[in-house]
Amino acid sequence: MFLEIKDLSVKIENKNILKSLNLNINKGEVHAIMGPNGSGKSTLANVLAGKEDYEILNGSINFKDNDLFDLNIEERAQEGMFLAFQYPVEIPGVNITPFLHSAINSKRKRMNEEEIDNLSFAKLLKSKASDLGINIDMLKRSVNTGFSGGEKKRYEILQMSILNPDLAILDETDSGLDIDALKIVTDGVNKLKTKDNSFLIITHYQKLLDYIKPDYVHVMVNGSIVKSGGSEIAAEIEKDGFQKFQ
Amino acid sequence: MNSDTLNTLNSYSINKYKYGFVTEIDDEKPKKGLNEDTIKFISLKKNEPEWMLDWRLKAYSKWKKMKEPKWANLSFPEIDYQDIYYYSAPKGFEKKPKDLSEVDPKLIETYNKLGIPLEEQKVLAGVAVDVVFDSVSVATTYKGELEKLGIIFCSIGEAIQKHPDLIKKYLGSVIPPGDHSFSALNSAVFTDGSFVYIPEGVKCPMELSTYFRINAENTGQFERTLIIADKGSYVSYLEGCTAPKRDDNQLHAANVELIALEGAEIKYSTVQNWYPGDEDGRGGIYNFVTKRGLCAGKNSKISWTQVETGSAITWKYPSCILKGDNSIGEFYSVAITNNFQQADTGTKMTHIGKNTKSKIISKGISLGKSQNTYRGEVSFLRKADKARNYTQCDSLLVGNQCGAHTVPYIDSKNNTAVIEHEASTSKINEDQLYYCRQRGLSHEEAVSLIVNGFCKQVLQELPMEFAVEAQKLVSISLEGSVG
Amino acid sequence: MNIQDNYQKNKKNIFFSENKDIQTYREKLINIFENDRFDKKNNESLKNINLKNFFDFKYKYLISEETSVINNNQENSYSIVSVNGQCLSYKDDKIEITKILDEDYIDFSKNDIIENNDHFVNLNSLFLNSGFKILIKKNNNIKIKISNIITDDDLTIFQKNNYICEEGSSLNLIEEYENKNNSTSNILNVIKLEKNSQLNHFLIQDNSSNHNLIITTHSSVKKDSTYTQKVYNFSEGYVRNFHYSELKEANSEADLQGIFFLKDNNTSNNKTYVKHLAEDCKSNQVYKGILNDRSKATYFSNTHVDQVAQKTEGYQLSKGILLSDNASYFSKPELKIYADDVKCSHGSTIGPIDENAIFYLRSRGMSKIAATKILISSFINEELSSIDNEQMSEIIQKKLVRYLSKVK
Repeated sequence: MFLEIKDLSVKIENKNILKSLNLNINKGEVHAIMGPNGSGKSTLANVLAGKEDYEILNGSINFKDNDLFDLNIEERAQEGMFLAFQYPVEIPGVNITPFLHSAINSKRKRMNEEEIDNLSFAKLLKSKASDLGINIDMLKRSVNTGFSGGEKKRYEILQMSILNPDLAILDETDSGLDIDALKIVTDGVNKLKTKDNSFLIITHYQKLLDYIKPDYVHVMVNGSIVKSGGSEIAAEIEKDGFQKFQ
Repeated sequence: MNSDTLNTLNSYSINKYKYGFVTEIDDEKPKKGLNEDTIKFISLKKNEPEWMLDWRLKAYSKWKKMKEPKWANLSFPEIDYQDIYYYSAPKGFEKKPKDLSEVDPKLIETYNKLGIPLEEQKVLAGVAVDVVFDSVSVATTYKGELEKLGIIFCSIGEAIQKHPDLIKKYLGSVIPPGDHSFSALNSAVFTDGSFVYIPEGVKCPMELSTYFRINAENTGQFERTLIIADKGSYVSYLEGCTAPKRDDNQLHAANVELIALEGAEIKYSTVQNWYPGDEDGRGGIYNFVTKRGLCAGKNSKISWTQVETGSAITWKYPSCILKGDNSIGEFYSVAITNNFQQADTGTKMTHIGKNTKSKIISKGISLGKSQNTYRGEVSFLRKADKARNYTQCDSLLVGNQCGAHTVPYIDSKNNTAVIEHEASTSKINEDQLYYCRQRGLSHEEAVSLIVNGFCKQVLQELPMEFAVEAQKLVSISLEGSVG
Repeated sequence: MNIQDNYQKNKKNIFFSENKDIQTYREKLINIFENDRFDKKNNESLKNINLKNFFDFKYKYLISEETSVINNNQENSYSIVSVNGQCLSYKDDKIEITKILDEDYIDFSKNDIIENNDHFVNLNSLFLNSGFKILIKKNNNIKIKISNIITDDDLTIFQKNNYICEEGSSLNLIEEYENKNNSTSNILNVIKLEKNSQLNHFLIQDNSSNHNLIITTHSSVKKDSTYTQKVYNFSEGYVRNFHYSELKEANSEADLQGIFFLKDNNTSNNKTYVKHLAEDCKSNQVYKGILNDRSKATYFSNTHVDQVAQKTEGYQLSKGILLSDNASYFSKPELKIYADDVKCSHGSTIGPIDENAIFYLRSRGMSKIAATKILISSFINEELSSIDNEQMSEIIQKKLVRYLSKVK
């Protein structure tokens, strides 16, 4: 199994957020999780990435034959887990290019691969950026600083394509995007898709799933998955909302 | 604070100072202690003219009547001025060597270890260096090339011999010996330092640099630097400093005077990395430095940039007196304190002339059990019409046993002048750390990256050759590991 | 007359002179006076002060025959007229007004915030001749208005007031200082807010040029409580506003604000100081000043965050407008921070009225003077619009109009 979440219960500040959640993802699959606000979708993403504010009450997560709880944030990232943030944080003064360069090299180091030098990295970054229609000038700026909402999301996808993760988690990547930006972002994701990597797409709306076809759709309500199936579920939600699942 | 942050912090507090070695070299010292004989000894060693000795003795008599300034947020035991050597020279330096073949190979080795090679062909391209070891200047590179342009770059001792008119006119003109006790002390016993004169209209084609090294034990270093930029000239000057690891505290009390005449610009950068003491607060340099620049002429500009990572105690306020109309003063500072270090640093911008402008950007980072204070004064005098100041001082706290303090003094006596001041203090942002680590950076790398980003506004003001070095130094000060 | 002689001569009129401990304490204070060099440069309490006016004074005090009045006109609302710093005793089931006691005096003398070289506070402790204590009982919601009257010329009032808000109580306190005679009031307010209580404290200062007002507040705030203070200084005489607050328990808040309007040769010295001693507390220190003619002002602000005071939010703002080329403003916004999980900031600006804004308004047909007045009003608009008491808002507006009428 590629990713196996078993009976996961999580709380934060005395509030139970995830309740006995189960989810399995195989290599090459695209899963979508849909749910109303406050259902625990972003918590799941952050627990997978290893954010430290949460208390794990019960359950286990297995990722590529690792007990995920044995790995800290950066080790998970280096093992190939990528979280595209819902609200990417601004880091003033930290230039994008060296930032991503160190990121890719820490991953290569863990994988015992050779580090990539300055020049080859600059080339790689440029080509990936132009694929995503990102202006080269943007690469001279500080991480997420002064970016518009759309630019931030596009920049997340750029990082994803550079780091080439095994499991990419997209946390509400569609929120705040107009239709053109959504198209650029989803094109980027589709280009990245191979039979060896997997995607977990967290979204509130069905629209994103018109562009990225999921193999499985899960409905999450109140911290657990209440229904799973194919893309027909998304259409059902589009029509009737989440009411009937609650 | 989460456990990873704590681990990283613990690893930071183990201090490793990579310049802490001692050079075994014979040196020559007078008796310990400060009295007229000590001053006469120094003056004799330097083969100084009578007027210079008189100047020193006058300063000494002022010093005897003065007390150390006490307003800074620093605590340290009383300095025993009678337990210090005021002069130390490697043997054989009665006269400054003419070229490197006369320099003790041990010294050349020392500077190679410090990353400051003295052979010109190995020196950083485009940087002329004056090297001061304890009390004497041991080498000045690229001298010939500069002379062709009429630029004087030599040790202050040499300038006293060869350019007495300039020295008589300008020495003590910006920092009067009686200004406060450390300036009086320095004026009485200064040993060496650099002298720069840039003639009218000349843009100095290379960075001028002085490298200070304290080697001998129980020895104070009292250097004196004087830079004069004549009308329409430009110079960029950089100062660096290190000292061996020792358990005792050593005193460093330098005076730096800058004079910019009409239309001239001086850019003065410091990377201060004196030995900060160990993780229990033993040893380290007491750094009591007075730096002051006078924008004497119209349209002149003085810009101070400092990266302060060393010293057990830093007491330092590079200042600008903006006398000429339209003159500009700038101060960019990064001060990092770790373990038991204490820094009280900032600037003073005194606006006298019309249309004068000043800008202050200060970034303080406190770690360990250190105390870091920004202290700055901006004043607009009555005639400073349309003067402007912008100040931004930000402090970052890493760990919960350190302190970050901001003490600005803002004084306006002119109703057309505008002053804007902003300051903030916060801890290192956990969301930024999470983001960086999610991309695969280790906690330590993430902290170093974010702190460097926090300092960027200042670091980018450094000359190119040193900006990279300074970034590394910032990371090292955080990590405590050899970069 | 020097302080020692002054004290010895008038001892019998001063509060608590029979108390041995207090006597010893006062002798210490006299010592401080005699040994201090009155170094204006390093003593915040002395900046811009004419030492002779304040420390070489003739002590004079009268207990007024006109009795002070307490009026319970509406429910939960009281009007107090304090004459020469005195107030009648009063008691009902909601509040209690009494004389201050030796123990209150001693309790205050132990505070460790106010520097022992604050000579005005020391004078107050030395010559204390009036004052009262108001207690708001548990869970009551009270409004009090105090008019401070001084009856005669040349009086030197040294007054100490204690305010105690018991648990769950809330007090809206308006104090008016509008004295027209040649006298000096040195007032010290000691305020204690118990758990879950609230005090909104307004000080309206509008004295004539021959009256000096020195007012100092020391408030200590306990769990879930809030102290809000708003100072409106229109005085033509010297005013010193020094206000200290200690946030002693979690989730408490201090909000110290002031605006001042100076003209002629007048001086005003201002200071706010908040000490955070517990977690999750908030503070605001905001002062704005308009300075005309040859007036001078200082503003010292200070946020001190103790090591245990995590999750502190501290904010400071100081703004000054200089209307004349002979006015001057000094500000020193300090942060002293010993805890790491904090958000503290300060901003400070001093300058003339924005010329671009004046130009804009004039291009719309407004005269320069009208434009200036509008911009001054907008500078303090936030402070004025936040007054929710209509009657008070009207009073303040009137005073503002009076000040603006002198602006040329």
